[in-house]
Amino acid sequence: MSFFNPLLLFAALGVALPILAHLLARQKVKRTDWAAMQFLNRNVRVRSRQIRLRDIFLLLLRCLAILMLVAALAKPFMNEADAVPEGIGERRAGVVIALDASYSMGHSDGASTRFEQALEKIDAIVAGIHPGDPVCLVLLGAEHQVIARNMAFDPDLFDELLRAQSPDPESLDLDRVPQILNELVEAMDAPQKEVYLVSDMQAGDWGDRPVWFGEALATLGKSASMNIVPVRGGADNLAITDLELVSGVLRKDTAARYRATVRNYGTAEVANVSVKGVADGNTVDTKIIPSIAPGESETVSLFVHFRNSGAVRMSAELEPDSLLEDNVRRTVAVIRDEVSVLSVEGSPDGGQNFITAALRARGGSGGGENFAVQSVPWIDLPAQDLETFDVVILQNVPEITSEQARLFENYVRAGHGLIWFAGDKVDAAAWNKRSAPDGISLLPAVIEQTVSTGDALGVGRPLDPSMPDHPVSRPLRSLPEDLLSETRFRKMLQVKPSATSSTIMSLAGTAAPLLLEHSVGRGQVFMFTSSADSSWNNLAVTPVFPMVLQQMVTYLTAREFETPRLVGDSLSLSYVDEPDASEAVFDTPSGETISVPVSEHRSQYVAMLEHARESGFYLARVSLQSPGLPVAVNVDTSESDVSCLSAAETALTFNGTEIRVAESEADLLNAVEESRAGRSLWFHLLLVGLGLLVLESLLAKWMSRRSESGKKQTTPSAATPESV
Amino acid sequence: MSEHLPETNYLDPGLLQRLGDLELIAREVVEGLRVGGHRSPLQGFSTEFAHHRQYSPGDPIRTLDWRVFGRTDRYYTKLFEAETNFDCHLLVDASSSMNYGSGKVSKLEYAKFLSASLAYLVLKQRDSVGLSVFDSEVRAYLPPRSAMGIILEIDRLLKDIKPTPKTSLAKQLHDIALMMKRRSVVVVISDLLSEVDDILGALEHLRFDGHNVIVMHTLDPYEIEFPFDGTWRFEGLEGEEPLTTQPQRIRDEYLAGFGKYMESLKSGCVAAQIDYTVVDTSRPLDLLLSEFFNERETTMGGGSPTARP
Repeated sequence: MSFFNPLLLFAALGVALPILAHLLARQKVKRTDWAAMQFLNRNVRVRSRQIRLRDIFLLLLRCLAILMLVAALAKPFMNEADAVPEGIGERRAGVVIALDASYSMGHSDGASTRFEQALEKIDAIVAGIHPGDPVCLVLLGAEHQVIARNMAFDPDLFDELLRAQSPDPESLDLDRVPQILNELVEAMDAPQKEVYLVSDMQAGDWGDRPVWFGEALATLGKSASMNIVPVRGGADNLAITDLELVSGVLRKDTAARYRATVRNYGTAEVANVSVKGVADGNTVDTKIIPSIAPGESETVSLFVHFRNSGAVRMSAELEPDSLLEDNVRRTVAVIRDEVSVLSVEGSPDGGQNFITAALRARGGSGGGENFAVQSVPWIDLPAQDLETFDVVILQNVPEITSEQARLFENYVRAGHGLIWFAGDKVDAAAWNKRSAPDGISLLPAVIEQTVSTGDALGVGRPLDPSMPDHPVSRPLRSLPEDLLSETRFRKMLQVKPSATSSTIMSLAGTAAPLLLEHSVGRGQVFMFTSSADSSWNNLAVTPVFPMVLQQMVTYLTAREFETPRLVGDSLSLSYVDEPDASEAVFDTPSGETISVPVSEHRSQYVAMLEHARESGFYLARVSLQSPGLPVAVNVDTSESDVSCLSAAETALTFNGTEIRVAESEADLLNAVEESRAGRSLWFHLLLVGLGLLVLESLLAKWMSRRSESGKKQTTPSAATPESV
Repeated sequence: MSEHLPETNYLDPGLLQRLGDLELIAREVVEGLRVGGHRSPLQGFSTEFAHHRQYSPGDPIRTLDWRVFGRTDRYYTKLFEAETNFDCHLLVDASSSMNYGSGKVSKLEYAKFLSASLAYLVLKQRDSVGLSVFDSEVRAYLPPRSAMGIILEIDRLLKDIKPTPKTSLAKQLHDIALMMKRRSVVVVISDLLSEVDDILGALEHLRFDGHNVIVMHTLDPYEIEFPFDGTWRFEGLEGEEPLTTQPQRIRDEYLAGFGKYMESLKSGCVAAQIDYTVVDTSRPLDLLLSEFFNERETTMGGGSPTARP
């Protein structure tokens, strides 16, 4: 037996009070010498013994009542129900219910989803909980949400709470589950604690868990009865795992090609998978994938013709299947009226023609030129209004003034793009000095010296994509290897990359950066450490150059919000200047409006929504009245593999621990029965204690009356002094 | 006063100082009463001059010392030894029942104070005082004397009393009555816890012998009020069987029985012309004596004996 409030047992010392009172009362029976004995009625003497017996009996009743009441207040708890006769005591426990709410729980096997099955299991768990017992309910996801913490159990209220929940479009962060469960168990005021973890036992989450995880759960099992309640379903599921722009310029009256990747997570081949391309809610393309083998992915191209400028909500969608959440993949395309490029040439006989030619490489094929290119010599640069251009390309520009450096920085910070090419005219010292006027460098690297990279034959080294998945280098993957290896670099600038830059391409065989990128405000700067003409390399005369250059311009004209986010990511809105409004506004896909304060960090103003909880298109606005920028938020497809651990695998996972696995309904009821083995006796003890007090009171009154009547009977025979 | 008296156990000088103005006034004319103070049929029995005292109204004119008047123009009365032959017998009950006391002083202790005080008073007005101590038998008998030294003997006797259970109070009174040669004032100091008829018989015997009997019924306040609460074990001082009881339940019966006993005693005394006084040992002795003598003074002059509570 254990006590929930063991310290209160000290109150049992209170039993000394009636005993003390009794002893004190006994001490009052004093002796005295007495002269006038003949006047005492000796008939009363017999009663003193009866009084003593009565007092002792009542004393025992009082002591017993006090002991019962003290024991009731200390809340005794029998851990083993076998020790308590049936019908005595109540089964009481504090229950923590952890419900897997990752979106895989929305997987349906036709009749019901896993989440609905889980709710039924929870109904069985809570069926035996007494009203008032402490209950915790936590939804497990990427971030665990405690819905009820130490709540006094109310069946109706709890049911209402439970039915209001649904799976979140998040994946399950299982590593933090023992921690949250332990916190809840520790904070729970209950003599006996139970934990029920209701999950679909996704193989991706539960398979091959690290040793510490099992140990953490086992440790938790020492302070609470730990039960795993699996809800399983089939593994069939199709998901669109990717949607990306693979070609085309996001310009009005042009077409772009998006590629959607569909994966079959099931164990059976799926035929005739229909994939829809949807732009702003209108289906613009539909493709059928004849067959997808189990565990394989197939891609389809979705073509979109952009007829209007502005932000377009793009999505690829599958027909409804057993799991709806991952059937849609979203992205945003910001369509421009045209993409204008200013090409600034530092050398009159330089690579201007190469750049213009490269950007116009597809000109005339369909909807006009992709890029409107204007070329100027660098000495005309001060006359140009930079804001009319989306991208500025500086090629072999010897130097810039401090004023120009400030203009370029503001230009990029506002969200435009800058591409910088090296050349033999470049004054490294001047660029280094003036491109970093405020400590924030315009260029992603400090220029050191010009180095020759030519080999013994004088043909130079080829380029090597350091970041093959970067949108700029991605098209190079489709090129034949010999074509890429034919690009040769004989000379380049040796640079020292800044901490915030990333190297996208480098010289093959060395780590020397060839193409660097870094962000300045909302814009990007590319730095090419070789020239854009044929003096330092042969890149400009190969087919690689137009591809890379156009990709760079397209990439730079894209906006930060075109990059899709995942559920759980933060959404940020950057400002060029200090905003008028102190709060930005995010509209969620479900229509909720969330205000976020704008914070300032290193002269940059950012509003950040910490945690995107929904999948769909958010709308970010700088203020409540301003037009918004859509942001696509997709689910993490790591959760799309809905295959579950089998019963045997689950049993093996928890083998050797005290953790129970309730596979069936009977198992669950049995687990509840065994977990709730102990019984709370306080209520019965309280009743017994109160009953004893009432009994003592009635008996005392009855005995008193009896004594009075006895006295009345003896009074007539009271002797006179003489007769005594 | 104290320079004349050696230190005694029962004569509290402070107490006696307060009693100095009191006079013991007998109800009836007793043979050999002090001249001036008492109307005695045996006046002039002695001619031995003792001393003078200032004349007080009421003194016989024939006892005035005219020679002294002639010399000093002041009236002085001549006093003679024979004028102090009023005998007072103090009969002190020293039985075990007198040993009870709810407070600091037992009935016997109080009786000792009382008898010593009375003896001193009697001696102060140059009368004779004697003492008899009795329990189951007469333990001591001191014939009446008027010399102040007797008070020391009384004191010693009282000090040496060892209470023993009495068998019959009446028998001892009868025996003492036989010992007394002259008619005297007999003061009986006792709790009188015995048969009422026996007590009254013995007292009437004394009365029959011509003694002026004063009964000072010495009782403890607990015996009068019986204020016990709770459970008590009463152990009889006269060898009775102990009794454990709840006094509050028998109080009414006790008070009724005790009241009846007191009433019987009182009415018996009144009928036998015996002066009856209840002595409550919780009361100050001087106050008790003051009240006692004041009462006697108001009833002086042939009034019938009364009983005082």
